[in-house]
Formats: sequence, structure tokens, C-alpha cells
Amino acid sequence: MRERFLAPTVGAVVLWGVVVGVASIAAALGTSSTNTLVTQMLIDAIVVVGLQVFIGNTGMLSFGHPAFGAYAGYVVALLTMPVSRKLIQIPDAPWGLAEAEVDPTIATFAAVAVTLVVGAIVGLALVRSGASSGAVAATMITLAFLFVTHEIALNWTDLTDGGGGLGFIPRLDGRLPIVLSLLVVLLVGRWFAESRPGRLAKAVREDGLAAAASGVDRVRPQMAALFLSVLIIAVGAVLRVRALGSMTPSFFYFDYTLLTLAMLIVGGRNSLTGSMLGVVTITAGIEFTRILAGESVSIPGLDWLLRPNLSDLFLGGAMLGFMLIRPRGLLGDWELDHWLRRWIPLRRRSTPGAVSDRSGRKHILEAKGIGATFSGFRALSDVSLRVETGEIVGLIGPNGAGKTTLINVMSGLVPGHDGQVLLDDEDLTGLAPHDLAARGIGRTFQNLRLFSDLTVRENVEIARIAHDRRGHDIDVDALLHAAGLTDVADRRASELDYGNQRRLELIRATATAPAFLLLDEPTSGMGEAESSAMVDFVRHLAGEIGAGVLVIDHDLHFIVSICDRIYVLDHGELIASGSPDVVRNDALVRAAYLGED
Amino acid sequence: MIAVLQQLVDGLGRGSAYALLALGLGLIFGVMHLVNFAHGEPVTVAAYSVYAAAMFGAPWWALAVVAVVAAVLTSLAIEFAGFRRLRAADDFTLLLTSFGIAVLVRAGFSMWVSTTPRQFHRPAWIFDTVRAGPLALEIYDLVVIAVTALTLVGTWLLLQKTMFGLALRAAAEDFDAARLMGARANRLIAGAFALAGLLAGIAAVLILMRRGQAEPDMGLDILLPGLLAAIIGGLGRLEGAVLGGLALGVAQSAFRAWILPNSLSRLTEAAVFGLIALLFIFRPEGILSARRAERV
Amino acid sequence: MLRVAGVTARYGNITALRGVDLHVSEGELVCLIGPNGAGKTTLMSAVTGLLPVTAGRVLFEGEDVTRDSPDALLRKGLALVPERRRIFADLTVEENLLMGGVTVAPAERRRRLKEMEELFPVLAEKRTLHAGYLSGGQAQQLAIARALMSEPRLVLMDEPSLGLAPALVEVVFQLIQDLKKRGTTLLIVEQNAKKALAVADRAYMLRTGEIVDEASGQDLDRWADLFEAYVGG
Repeated sequence: MRERFLAPTVGAVVLWGVVVGVASIAAALGTSSTNTLVTQMLIDAIVVVGLQVFIGNTGMLSFGHPAFGAYAGYVVALLTMPVSRKLIQIPDAPWGLAEAEVDPTIATFAAVAVTLVVGAIVGLALVRSGASSGAVAATMITLAFLFVTHEIALNWTDLTDGGGGLGFIPRLDGRLPIVLSLLVVLLVGRWFAESRPGRLAKAVREDGLAAAASGVDRVRPQMAALFLSVLIIAVGAVLRVRALGSMTPSFFYFDYTLLTLAMLIVGGRNSLTGSMLGVVTITAGIEFTRILAGESVSIPGLDWLLRPNLSDLFLGGAMLGFMLIRPRGLLGDWELDHWLRRWIPLRRRSTPGAVSDRSGRKHILEAKGIGATFSGFRALSDVSLRVETGEIVGLIGPNGAGKTTLINVMSGLVPGHDGQVLLDDEDLTGLAPHDLAARGIGRTFQNLRLFSDLTVRENVEIARIAHDRRGHDIDVDALLHAAGLTDVADRRASELDYGNQRRLELIRATATAPAFLLLDEPTSGMGEAESSAMVDFVRHLAGEIGAGVLVIDHDLHFIVSICDRIYVLDHGELIASGSPDVVRNDALVRAAYLGED
Repeated sequence: MIAVLQQLVDGLGRGSAYALLALGLGLIFGVMHLVNFAHGEPVTVAAYSVYAAAMFGAPWWALAVVAVVAAVLTSLAIEFAGFRRLRAADDFTLLLTSFGIAVLVRAGFSMWVSTTPRQFHRPAWIFDTVRAGPLALEIYDLVVIAVTALTLVGTWLLLQKTMFGLALRAAAEDFDAARLMGARANRLIAGAFALAGLLAGIAAVLILMRRGQAEPDMGLDILLPGLLAAIIGGLGRLEGAVLGGLALGVAQSAFRAWILPNSLSRLTEAAVFGLIALLFIFRPEGILSARRAERV
Repeated sequence: MLRVAGVTARYGNITALRGVDLHVSEGELVCLIGPNGAGKTTLMSAVTGLLPVTAGRVLFEGEDVTRDSPDALLRKGLALVPERRRIFADLTVEENLLMGGVTVAPAERRRRLKEMEELFPVLAEKRTLHAGYLSGGQAQQLAIARALMSEPRLVLMDEPSLGLAPALVEVVFQLIQDLKKRGTTLLIVEQNAKKALAVADRAYMLRTGEIVDEASGQDLDRWADLFEAYVGG
């Protein structure tokens, strides 16, 4: 097993042990009703793992995930219900279901398969909507999905027998299948978070644009998270239906969404450990409110509060309270294995060598006749420039001249511009940002865009694993070392100081093994000493990976000291180009920069 | 032809409430980039207020006033209690907060009133029919269409002709720039919530005329079509929200009348909502909306 | 009139201002220059309350306004013409101007609207046009006119010449001088240092979040040369 998965594996097993331990103690101490409660809690835990896999890794809020459970639940109910019972309840069921009765294991596989098909359809809408207009539309779609599913279950009476539901489903024997399933889903959930698609999904969650510029295609990792979460929820739903022996439309409707979401939010949606803490806390809390609201308890002066449905008030209150006071939940993104890691011996890495040894052939990146207009404002008109591997080219001009827009065009962020972007005469115009990154065009942003909640190392690793570019392997440790970030590699990116964040963004772009680096004001906001160190660093990195660099900066010192050639933009037009000396003495440049006439 | 007109009237009547709710959602989204999942709750509170007032024997016009006032106050209370301290929060937090508020209101009515619906009397004349040539129209539908038209014109005048409306439109475009002009942030947001509450109150009157009962879940039930309408129109685009709401209503009528077989007519809402959600595969930015560029 | 004392502010993770001190007296035209990323816009945001000040104080006419919101400051007579103008593109030219006068009484607002339309004939001409269709120069005039609608005593301008053709830069600087003659106090952030220094009474140089130099009178000319040398590498 690969080293990265060792600690998470141990962590997931320990976490499972703790949850099952708590459940067993509660079951041993309590009555038979506690026993039912414990079974219910372990099943909820499975469903919450499913929710966490999607919501935690993608950052999209879903109200509809329990509805996937409804499909799994009905399939297993319809396949395992005794025929004698079906003839009474649903004699007109379509597809010969009224006469079918299959083994629960086969039924489980069928349930999961059907649910995955539903997941594929919903997922496509979900991921597509999340791709362009933020998570809001995605959340709304999940709500619609929840509602639509419930309506179908309620009204397609030939199949579901309506609100009363289906019964006489063969029950599970004991808790063992549930307990084992929980172990499996915890392992899978934790592995996924550390896997390539899991980490890419988290990168998109942190900053979709930066992820795309690092070569991450957002659809695939998000779909992977969705499929896995649907799979886990389907398993949980099958267990739930078989534990209860019945299935109704309300099993996987609004109340279950509320319950499982509250569990996830209270513990911390970005952490599996947190989710499990949430499951235990909320289960205990609800049980407590139920006792309080029951007949046996009476507290003078509080009778107005101790009423049935107090648990809903508790759930809503918990959700609202955490959002207002501690939106990241009890544990944030802390996992048990972060702590266990101290006791797990890991191989120390030897001192890193070269970032990568590349004496590849020459590449040429060209922009030809680029024009761009935003709501009537002509930001660029007929701009052409060219960069070759191995050279450093500057792009200067006053504020608002269109420099960033040009880099945005060349990295695919401005759809619908005029002109062409060519790499070795291949036309790349109109490709998505992640495709351009995959073809070797890396970039940084004027206003730093890091994956703030991920570690320094993860920031760089994501860029390295975002796409397959064989023969372009970059050594992440060597990069961290070169940037002087080895000691802080396991810190969150947001905890670094500004200079280090700038360097991190630069090596993240380098980790995509680019043939060309487009740098948007790498020294902005830096002091003089820091700036000149940055100059050296850019030159060093570019030399080591043999990339061509196109750099925007305002600091002419910086540009002149680093660049082989310089282009000057003003009002969206190229007004000069050539060697630093030529450009510096150009009259138009002086006019644009210094306001000379 | 007659049948088409009949269904159109029916659809517009149905879509009116959606349009008013979507408009309110759009107004709130404009000033604070929040999709307010609690925007159905003013309707719930309005419904229970009407139920309470009806027990005291209030006349029908007083019930309408009660509904509107209750909705405005609820909307303001939601802003004050929930969102005043979350001005700079991320989308996820804002969404879940509004959802939490909706859950609390629902739980409150379940606990302290009842989980089962509470009926109240409506004037009998609203379901009389009048004949306009070959068309048979319910007074209810006519009232709904007239009230909605008046409300929309009033809202349009408010937004176009008053300083408050101007400030709201400016803030929706660039909130900080509006503050730099001297617009007070809290008042502006509270104003947007109040206006949204007013629209929700009028929508509540229309809904209650049809349903004649109050139940804890009604806010969440009515929220979904309102949200869908707002998103069909492109969030934050007010004309889009109105068109989206009306289109949704007409689509429902058309589905019920012509597209679904009789045996499945109870699945109308499920079919329409499901189809709209699927449309996002092809038009992720909203069906009527244009894409906006993000600055980097 | 305005005193900024030891102001420190953060922009995201960046400490963008470190103990900035400056003052502007009644009737003065003060100019703030410095390279990109020096914190000029951050300073404007911190002074006007768009960005919280983490240390130090901002005094306006002797009153501590460090924690004031932008709208409160505007009511006290301090207006900002923001970087990149930020006019309301979906509103008409006239609506933009009216929005600038949102704090004043309706009759007074109408009077000032007329005054602005006399002062800026081009805006009067385009009254009913959506502001998004204005050219860069017209948009900048609108942004300034919009700020003047509240009759501020102190106007802050962030890069008024940004993205303008040289002829229009002339127009804008002429306008700035006219404003000064009318008795408005001005604090201007400019990248076009030569132009700005030519009209300024005093100037500050901001670099990496700190005021590194201050000049007035004769020194301003010397500065213009110095800045040229600096930018010219």
C-alpha cells in the first residue's frame, strides 16, 4: 500500500472502533429501545459518510442526497417483499414486479445499480450547474430532486402503494452487516479524500479558477465524489430498509435530510472524524430531547418547551447555531489520522535533487491578433506576441492597459475573444483553462489564488497530479525545497506569510511542468529585498524546467533585470516591443508611462 | 383555442404566486448574494396569522391585511435575527443559515400549534365563475391575475421612480459603490427584505385563497417553485424572475392538460420540476439569463 | 482636515499598510504616488471605511472616524471616486448622478443634478443612456460628477486617469484643477506621477505599505524627475 494511505487507513479503523465501541456500550447499558436506537445510529453514520464524501470534498451543499436512498430503498423493498404480500398491496406493479421475489443480496446489488444510474443523471445536472454559476443552482437542483422523488413515491401508487409504504421486507439478522459496512465506507471515504480525484475535488472546492489553471478538469473529480457518495448512501439505505422491514416515502425525505445534514454540519463537514462525532452528538441530543419532551418528565415553568417535535427545534437550532457561531463545525477539517501520524513511523525523504531535468526541444507560444471587448469596452485590440522556451519576456504598460486580460486570454479565461492562441502552430483558441494547463501553459494570478485550506504540499501536489503528462515528472520535494517551504510543507497555505504565499503560487504553477509560465505581477506587494529574491527565484525555476516565461510587472527594475525581450501595452494596443534598452528609450513608452507629451 | 386560453389563464393564476416569490428572492439575492431558503416562511407565518385572525371572526379584507403585515414583519425578523451578523459569510454558510431558519419556523408551528393543517373560512364567491364569451373563468383566477398585475406595476414603479428603488438597483450592481454614495447598508438590506416580505405576503394571500389552510410545511413547499422560477430567470434578474414564475405556472397547466396521461396527473409537479432541473444540463447559467464575466 | 495616523490594514493575508501617517489641510491638493502594489488603493479603502483598520486612527475635521462606515463618512463630507470608477453600468447616466445625491433632500438633489449637467455638458447629452455605454473619459467624468453630487468638502480620487487616452487625461486634470479653485480639498492617488505632481500642492510617496517620502513646493519638480528615473530604471 502506498505510504500516503497508511495513516488514513489506521485512522479510519480506529475511528470505526470508537464509533462501534460507543454504540456497543450504549446498547449494553440500555434497554431494547436503546438497541434499536444504536442500530439506527450506525446506519445514519453510513449515510453521513456518504454525505461527507460529496459535500466535504466538493463544497457543494446538497439537500437531496437522502433521496438517492429512496431509490435504493424501493428497489430492495420491491424485490424482496413476499409475493403473497405484493398481491395484496401492489397487484398492478409494472415490469412483473408483483410476481418477483429475489434473494436480499442480489436485491442489494440491484438497488445499488439502479441508484447509480439515477445518480448519473442527477449528477450531470448538478455538476454542470455548479461549473458555471456557483454552488447555489446545484443546491436548488438537489432540493428539486428531493421533492420530485418524494412526489413520485407518494403518487405512483401502483408501484409504491403511496404514503403508507411497503412492509414485510425480510429483516436483517443482527448488527454485523451494518457494523462491517460502516468499516468499509469509512475506509473508502477516507481513502477517497486522499486519492487523486478526492484531492482534485478539494482543489476545485477551494478555488475553481486556480484549479482550472493548474490543469484540473472539475467535472471528473466532482462526478467521482458524487458516484461514491451515491453508492455509500445506497448501501446505507438498503440497510435502513432491511433493519426496519418497511419502506415509506417519508423515510428518505425532508426529515432525514435535516437529521443527516445536522450531523454533518455539527461535527465538521470537511472531516470524516467530525462527521462521526456529529452522528453521536446529534443522536444523543435527539434522544435527550425525546426524553425531555416525553410524558415522564415535567419541569415546572418549562412545560411550554417540552412538547412533541422538540427534536426538530433542536436540529434546526443546532444547524443555525453552528452556522452563526462555528460554521466549520466542531472539528473543522481535523482527522483522527492527523494526530495518529505522530506514532506511525514514516520513511524520511532524502535531500531532494533537481526539480526536473529537461533539455527538451523548443516550443513556441504565440498570440495572434488578439482582441477582446467587455460590455462595449475594448480591452485589447489586435495584440500579437510570441514567447519561446528558455526566454523570459516582459509585458508592461500602465494600469488598465489590458495586460492581465491578455494573460487571461492566453490561459483560456476569456471565452469569445478575437484572434488565435498558438502553441507550436497548433491552434489552442477556445480550449478550456484546464486543457491549456494540460498542454503546458501554467500561470499565476495578480491577487494570489491558493487552495487556502489545503496544506502547502497539497497545493503543489495537486498541480503535479492534475493531468498526465508523461515524461514531465516534477519532483514536489525539490520544488518545496527550492522555494524554502520544506519546513512549512504541512501547514495550511493560508497560514503562510505573503512572500511565501507568492512563492508557493509560483511553484504550484511550476509543478504542472509547464512549457510556458504566465506570471501576473509576481512581486506585487513585496519589499525591495523580497522582490529581488523573487527575481532570482523566477530565473532559477524557469532555467531548471526549461520553460518560457511571460511576466507582467509594474516594476521596471524587475522587468529590465530579468527579461530578454519586452512588450509594451497601452489602451489595449501594443505600442512597442524589443530589447529592454530599445523599449526604455521609446518615446511612446515614455509618454504612456510618464505622461510625457 | 378556447381550451388554450382557459389553460393560459389557469397557468398565469398558478404562476403569479411563484413570480412574486421569485421576485422577492431576486431582490434579496441582489443586495446580499443570498439565496434565501427561508423565503417561504413569511408565507407560513402569514397563513397562521390569518388562521388566528379568522378565529376572531375577522372579515376577508382584514385577513388579507393581516397576511401581508405578518409576512413583512417575518421577513424583517429573519433578516435581523439571522443575517445581520453574516454580512461577509460565504455562500455555504448563508444557504444553510436560511435553511436552518426555515426548519426552526416549521418546528415552532409543529410544536406550538399542530402538525396537522388548520382550516379557516374563505368567502364563497371566490370560486364563482363568470362567463366571458366562450370562456368560463373563476373569480379566483381573475383576482389573482389582477392583484399580481397591480403588484408588479407597483413594484416596477417603486424600483424605477423612487430613490429607494434606485438605491436597491445600484446596490444590486455594486454594493460597495452604493455605500460610497451614502446608501446605508443595513437599511438597504432591511428594505430589500421588507419589500420581498410584502411580495411574499401578497403571494400568501393568493395561495391562501386557494388552499384555505395553514400548515407547518407550507413555506418549504412553496419555496421550491419560487426558487426554480428565480433560477430559470437567472438569479438576481428581476424581469427574469417574473417571467420564470409565470412560465412555470403555464408549464404546469400545460403538462396537466395535455402532456401527462390522466392516470399520472398527480405527478404534474414532479414532472415539471424534474424537467427543469434537467434543463440545467444544457443551460447551466439559467434558461433566460446571460453569462456574466468574473474578474480575476 | 484629514489626518491618517499610524494606520495599518490587512488585505486578505497581506499586511498592505504599515503605520501610514499623512494629513491633508483645508483647500490643499495632495497627491499620493507609488508603484503598483504599494497599497495606495488599500489606503483609500481603509480611510473610507470599506476595509477595516487594524491599528491607528483616521481623523476627519478633528473627529475620530476610524470605525465609520462609507455612508457615514459621506454624510460628514468625505467622498471617494473609486479605482476603476465603478459607475453603475445598468443605470442611466442621470440615475448614476441621482444615486450620488442619495443623501440629500429631493429638491436640493434636483438642483445639483442641473448644476452637474451644466458642468459636464457631455453627461447632459447622454442623460438617458445606460452608463455602461459611456467611453472611458465620459465614465470618469460621470464618476467624478457623481461624487460631487453630495457636495463633499474632501474628495478622494483613486487613479482618475486610469485607462484614459492622453487627451482625456488632460481633461480630467483640468477638471481637478477647477475643483481645487472652487475650494474643494483633494487627495489624489495617481500612477501618472508627472501630471499629478504638476498640479499638487504636496505629495507623499508610498512604497510597500509605508510612506517613504514627502515633498512640497520646489521639491515636487525634483520628484517628478526622480520618479521618472525610478520608473525608467
